[in-house]
Amino acid sequence: MRMLAAGITPVLAVVLAIIVGGIVVLASGSNPITAYESMLVGAVGSPFDISETFISSIPLILAAYAVSFAFRSGLFNIGAEGQLYMGAIAATWVATTLSDWPGLPLIIVCIVAAMAAGGAWAGIAGWLKAKTGAHEVITTMMLSYVAIDISHWLLEAGPMTPANAFGTPESGPIPPQAAFPVILPSWILPNARLNASLFLTILAGLVFAWILWRTPLGYEIRAVGLNAKAAAYGGINVARRLVIAMVIAGAFAGLAGMVPVWVQMRLYDSFSPGYGYEAIAVALVGKNSAIGIFLAGLLYGAMIHGAVAMQANANISGFLVQILQALVLFFVGAEVLIRWFLRRGGFRALAEAAS
Amino acid sequence: MTALVSPVVPETIPSATPYLQMRGITKAFGTLLANDHVDLTVRDREIHAVVGENGAGKTTLMNILYGLIHPDSGEIVIDGSPVRIRGPRDAIAVGIGMVHQHFQLVPVMTVAENVVLGQEPGGIVVDRRAAVRQVGELSERFGLVVDPTARVETLPVGVQQRVELLKILYRGSRLLVFDEPTAVLTPQETDELFEILRGLVAGGKTVILITHKLNEVMAISERVTVLRQGRNAGELETAKTSPAEIARAMVGREVLLRVERDEAHIGEERLRLDGLKANSDRQLPALDGIDLTIRSGEIVGIAGVSGNGQLELAEVIAGLRPVTDGHVFLGGEDVAHQTTAERRVHGLAYIPEDRQARGLVLPFDVKDNLILGSQSRPPFAQRGQRNSDAVDERAKELIQRYDIRPPDPEAPAQSLSGGNQQKVVVARELAENPKVLVAAEPARGLDVGATEFIHRQLIEQRDHGLAILLISSELDEIFSLSDSIAVIYRGHIVEVVPSAAADRERIGLLMAGGTIEGGTPSASQVAQAAAALANEPPGTPPVESAHQ
Ligand SMILES: Nc1ncnc2c1ncn2[C@@H]1O[C@H](COP(=O)(O)OP(=O)(O)OP(=O)(O)O)[C@@H](O)[C@H]1O
Ligand SMILES: [Mg+2]
Repeated sequence: MRMLAAGITPVLAVVLAIIVGGIVVLASGSNPITAYESMLVGAVGSPFDISETFISSIPLILAAYAVSFAFRSGLFNIGAEGQLYMGAIAATWVATTLSDWPGLPLIIVCIVAAMAAGGAWAGIAGWLKAKTGAHEVITTMMLSYVAIDISHWLLEAGPMTPANAFGTPESGPIPPQAAFPVILPSWILPNARLNASLFLTILAGLVFAWILWRTPLGYEIRAVGLNAKAAAYGGINVARRLVIAMVIAGAFAGLAGMVPVWVQMRLYDSFSPGYGYEAIAVALVGKNSAIGIFLAGLLYGAMIHGAVAMQANANISGFLVQILQALVLFFVGAEVLIRWFLRRGGFRALAEAAS
Repeated sequence: MTALVSPVVPETIPSATPYLQMRGITKAFGTLLANDHVDLTVRDREIHAVVGENGAGKTTLMNILYGLIHPDSGEIVIDGSPVRIRGPRDAIAVGIGMVHQHFQLVPVMTVAENVVLGQEPGGIVVDRRAAVRQVGELSERFGLVVDPTARVETLPVGVQQRVELLKILYRGSRLLVFDEPTAVLTPQETDELFEILRGLVAGGKTVILITHKLNEVMAISERVTVLRQGRNAGELETAKTSPAEIARAMVGREVLLRVERDEAHIGEERLRLDGLKANSDRQLPALDGIDLTIRSGEIVGIAGVSGNGQLELAEVIAGLRPVTDGHVFLGGEDVAHQTTAERRVHGLAYIPEDRQARGLVLPFDVKDNLILGSQSRPPFAQRGQRNSDAVDERAKELIQRYDIRPPDPEAPAQSLSGGNQQKVVVARELAENPKVLVAAEPARGLDVGATEFIHRQLIEQRDHGLAILLISSELDEIFSLSDSIAVIYRGHIVEVVPSAAADRERIGLLMAGGTIEGGTPSASQVAQAAAALANEPPGTPPVESAHQ
């Protein structure tokens, strides 16, 4: 019931965004129905598209867990992008170094490496916050730049560049036995790319919710996020909880970085189209809940993948998708506006109460 | 704009028509009827008290009057004609002003800026000089001493409240609503506020006052409306009633307005402070070498004018403020450098003076708040997992035992009335069978029945061997509960006396800094102490100053 109530705003936000987005398309001289139709078909119209939509969604969902988990402790982790790069680098490095290992242990070690690297990277920001009070918005952002630069250095004729790499900035290939098993049978879609990382993402969501709601640690993290003074009063070591929350958050982001590499089976330079930043929007739209983020991530993934078809078939600029994403975010942020939609008279009282 | 500041000439109203009538006001929150056909009649130029138990619906009724909450049914009539109040703007337009319990001031702005906020003089650019002048005039006219150019955050609570009052006077309000204004005031500030209120009524205003302190009701109101569980439970003329009668109407049964207690059975030492020093938030010395011992089975009351180190003392013992020098012995062990969690394991419990900022995680539900401090220990945590059954069970038990309303473990703490929030804190802190309890203002915001209940709990726990350090700005509370009284002044314990031998005059003098070494207190110090002592207007039942 509580969850249902919380879900109303984002759903309404999406509906409003579609309406306003449609008006924008109309104003630019195209047919909104055609636009949305081609986007929808492009996103989920075939097994291939569904598979690709998931592939676009998974890193977003995982990175959004990183944003939200930190947020539950009261921290704004806007540097999921950097944590994701560190995860990708670590997993790739382990996979290419231990390339003669058998599949299962190698996958597990890679996952652990990705999560540890992401966690450590975010942990630095958490530690700085706890020790010196340095604001996490600044530190996570700075650490992102550093991580991305490290990846450039490693890949552009650096230690991770293979000898036969003809100048392309990339790593050596991920050994095939380390790949995630493909989960779509070939009679549905031959050569599908959607792999078991989907299950890993679902598992991550369960872990996210489990820690927060079913463990004393989660209780303490939420208490710190909602009232740090009361948390300290309750005997909670606030500084330590902040660091732990960041480490766990970073672990989600590290995993988010590994997944796209394991789709392309190679770490390319600048491999992330900004998953870590989009994730902030996904976390907001998903209202910081495990299920909400999963659904919001799928929505954003569908919009991103659907945009390709929309551009090709309906001849509408992919910018519409960016406008739509911004509109969804705007309407979620403008919760007050939506409440007003729901209950006209209330808005006045609210505004006056706030004044 | 200046029109607002010009004197409001009270209209002459035939005395048959009451100034304000609220009729049949009903408001439900979900299944809970917060107001059930409530009537309230307030005459012109009276001070009208609204009393009732915690959760009786007082704040809800006032929020409806001020337009913050929309009633499900009922009507509001002013001067005989019905009015529609859809929001605070409408309320202000018909002359209603409200001082909330939690102030709504902008801390970084000046008094004058806060007062004129929303109705600034001048055109697009605010005319600051005019604002300062108008606010100065206003405060002079109503005898509200305050510097219009002072920044609000630098002012004491009592003065901030005056700024709130100036705000509504500036808007020309004729009916002034106060929701528990005295809960946060020192006795002296309360007296000052009451002087101001009397002046305002003489000048044509009408006042509605919510309070839990029956002596205040007796001292200042002309009539009293009593609410009980959302319904009217009586309308009384103050002159013709007694605190006992009001209390009976509120609770529906006889209430003991004093605590019965037997002689203390004092046992071994539980808490010893030895040369304890600590700093205030501003890093100035707040505790200057405190020596104090509290033993099993006794209540030691700290008497003092607030701001003399009481808050810091409680926090230092709880491990929430660093010790700069000295020792804190808990059960014989020096815990001065242990964490709060470690001290809790040693049997320390703490009722903080500010329940909302410190004692509760307001967005958490009641059951989660009831385990704060024990969340990582069995039975609530087992093998790194939360034991929801144990949490539910504890919540059920405490909600029933302490009569927390509504009895819903899943209600967010912020939806509870103030008094019920306090019950959550007290219930939780006593639940783990502590050895030492630091209780700061344990009855703040509680109704008479709940105060009686909490006081009985404290006495009962003391009889079971709990060592209690009681910090309270209510001298009555200190006298009626404590076995010995320690007077704190400027971070020193100046004297410890058995309460049987304690003399109110002397305690008051010590609180004001009249030291044993013979230092003479200044005039203002004596005035403060006198105000603390005078907190006992006619009609208050005698305070039980010693054991039976
Ligand atoms: N926004 C809300 N949502 C749900 N319940 C509410 C809300 N506001 C008040 N209540 C409930 O309505 C009842 C009346 O609350 P109200 O705050 O009016 O009590 P009160 O008489 O002011 O009590 P107190 O003396 O403790 O301040 C309480 O049971 C409270 O829990
Ligand atoms: Mg109230």
